[in-house]
Amino acid sequence: MIRLSMLQLRAQAITAAVALIAFAVLLAATGPHLASLYAASGLRDCQPASCGQRANSFLQQVNAASPYGTVYLLSIILIALTPAITGLFWGAPLLARELETGTFALAWSQSVTRARWLAVKLTVGGLAAMAVTEALSLLFAWWAAPLARAGALGGSGSSLALNQFNPLAFVTHGITPLGYAAFAFTLGVTAGALIRRTVPAMAVTLAIFAALQIAMPLWIRPNLFPASHTTVAITFNSDTLNIYTTHSPHTFTFTLATDDGLAGQPEAWIRSSGAADAAGHPVSSVVPSACSPAASSSGPGPALANCLASRGIRLAVAYQPASRYWPLQCAETGIYLVLSFALAGYCFWRISRLS
Amino acid sequence: MNAVVQASGLGKQYRRTWALRDCTLAIPEGHVAGLVGPNGAGKTTLLRLAAGILTPTRGTITVLGQHPGAGPAQLARVGFVAQDTPTYSRMTVADHLRLGAWLNPGWDNHLARQRISQLALNPKQRAGSLSGGQRAQLALTLALAKRPGLLILDEPVASLDPLARREFLQGLMEAVAGQGLSVLLSSHLVADLERVCDYLVVLVASRVRVAGEVSDLLASHHRLSGPRRDPGILPAGQEIITESHTDKQSNLLVRTDEPVLDPAWAVKPVSLEDLVLAYMSQAADDRPASPQRLKVAS
Repeated sequence: MIRLSMLQLRAQAITAAVALIAFAVLLAATGPHLASLYAASGLRDCQPASCGQRANSFLQQVNAASPYGTVYLLSIILIALTPAITGLFWGAPLLARELETGTFALAWSQSVTRARWLAVKLTVGGLAAMAVTEALSLLFAWWAAPLARAGALGGSGSSLALNQFNPLAFVTHGITPLGYAAFAFTLGVTAGALIRRTVPAMAVTLAIFAALQIAMPLWIRPNLFPASHTTVAITFNSDTLNIYTTHSPHTFTFTLATDDGLAGQPEAWIRSSGAADAAGHPVSSVVPSACSPAASSSGPGPALANCLASRGIRLAVAYQPASRYWPLQCAETGIYLVLSFALAGYCFWRISRLS
Repeated sequence: MNAVVQASGLGKQYRRTWALRDCTLAIPEGHVAGLVGPNGAGKTTLLRLAAGILTPTRGTITVLGQHPGAGPAQLARVGFVAQDTPTYSRMTVADHLRLGAWLNPGWDNHLARQRISQLALNPKQRAGSLSGGQRAQLALTLALAKRPGLLILDEPVASLDPLARREFLQGLMEAVAGQGLSVLLSSHLVADLERVCDYLVVLVASRVRVAGEVSDLLASHHRLSGPRRDPGILPAGQEIITESHTDKQSNLLVRTDEPVLDPAWAVKPVSLEDLVLAYMSQAADDRPASPQRLKVAS
C-alpha cells in the first residue's frame, strides 16, 4: 500500500523535487556572496556598542545589491504558500478524484481495507507535504542566516531582516511550516471527502486555509500567551523611541516606534504601547499644559520629555519577549497538528460510510 | 445449498430515497449468475453491497458466508469490477498490475501477465488512452488475478461495442472455466446474459421476481395461445406470468412444472428474453409474493 501511494504521488513528487532543486540552486548561487558580505561587515566580532550601526549598514549594503531583496521576499512568499499548494494539489484530489472518477470502487475492492488505504495515503502524502515545506524553510534559513544575525544585533526594521514575530516570518521559520503543511493537506483531503469533486474541494481548501492564515496572526497567536509589560521613559533623543503622532498643537500621542523595537530586546514582539501615568493607568493622549508653555509649544523635544518625566508619565509597552518565540512556535504547530489529526479522524469516519 | 450471496431484508438509503429496499435473495454457489432488471431496480446497489463498497442501511447480506468488506481476508475473496470499469487513467497497464500485486496477497502474477499479453495490451500504455473494451479487460484482469472465490461485475459490457462485448464475455467464460469461481454479473441486456449465465435473477424494484437456473426456467415456462378464455380456469400449478387477449384469442405466459395437457392450447417454448421481459413487465403488486419474499420488520 505504501508503494502504491508513492507510485500515485509520483507526478507530484517530481514537481516538488524540481521546485526544491530550483530553489536550492537559486539560494546556493546567491548564498555564498551574502555570507562574504557578512564576513566583510565585521559583524561576527563586533563590540556591543557598534553592533547596531554595523548591522544597519550591512543590511543597507545587502539591500542595495540587486538580487537579495527579491530573493528574500520571493522565498518567504513561496514558503508561506507551499502548504496551500500541497493542500490544494495533493490533499484535495486524494479522495475527491477517486470519488469523481469512480476509481474508489477499484481501490477499495483490493484486499486492503479502506481504513488502511486512507491511513497510508494520509501518512505518505502528509509527511511528503511536511517534508517539502520544512525543507524549503530550512534552505531559506541557511541562506538568510547572515541577515537574521544582523537583525538580532539590532539591525531590525529592514525589509531584509523581518522581526521573527512578523506574520510572514513566523509561519516560514522554525517548526510552524510543519504544522501548516499537515493542516493544509488534511484540510484538502477533508474538503474532497465532503464535496466529492476535485475543483470545488480545492477552492474550499484555499478559502479556509487563507482565512486561517489571516486569523492566526490577527486574533489567535497574540492571545496564546499573556503579554509581558514594561515601561520605558519617554525620551526624544533615543534611538529606540519616537513620538508617533501629534494631534492638535498641544496634544501628543506616544507609541513605541515598532520599527526600532524595545531597547535591548530587538527581537521582541511589541503588541501595544502608549503613555501611562505614574500609577500605571493608560493616558490616551497627553496634554502637557502643566508643563511650561515654552516646553509644550516647542513641540516634541527634550523640554517636553523632561516635563513628562517629572510628572511620572512613561511609555507602557505590552510585548512578547524573544524567549517566547519557541513556546509560541510549539503552541501554534501543536494547534495545527491537533486540527490535522481531528480532520484525519473525520475522514476515516466519513469514508467508512461513503457512497 | 451454499449461497455465495445471501441477502435478507436488505436496504440501502441515500438521504431520503431508497436505492434498494427490503431485498431478499440467495444465489447458490458455482454458477455464473446474471442479475437483470430495469434501470433503478437496485442492481448496482445490490452488487456494491455485496462487494463491500457500500454498507447496508437495513437488513443483512453475506457473501461466501461472511459480511462483505469485513476485513482484508474477505476483500481478497471477492473480485469486483464496478460499472464503467474504472481504472486510473494516468497509470499505465503495468502500474495497474503492480497495484494488484501490492494490494492482494493472493495475486496471480502469471495469470495477469498472460491475460495482458493475450489481449495484446501494451504494458506501458496509460489506462486513460485504452479503448473502452481494453479498459474493461484490464479491470477484469485485476479482479481475476486476485484469485477471488466470487467475481462481481456491474454492467461490465454496457458501454462496449458488440465485438468488444463478445470478446470480454469470452474472456470471462475462459477464466471462469479455468478458475472454477462463482460469478455474479448484472446487465440490462438479456442477450449478453444468455451467452454466459446459467443462473438468472430478475430484480424489479428491489424485489426478486424470479430466480433459478436458466435451464429450469426455460423448461418450466411456456407460451400458450388458443381460443379466448377466462384465465381463472387454468389447472392448479399453472401460474400466469403475463396474459394478453384479443376478441378471439388468448396469449398466456405460464409457469408450471407439469406438462400442459389441455389440447386447446398451442404450447410453445419461451426464449430467455421473453421470460425476462414478462417478469419485468408484471405490475409491481400483481403477484402476491415471489418465492423468496419475506416480511422484514422495519
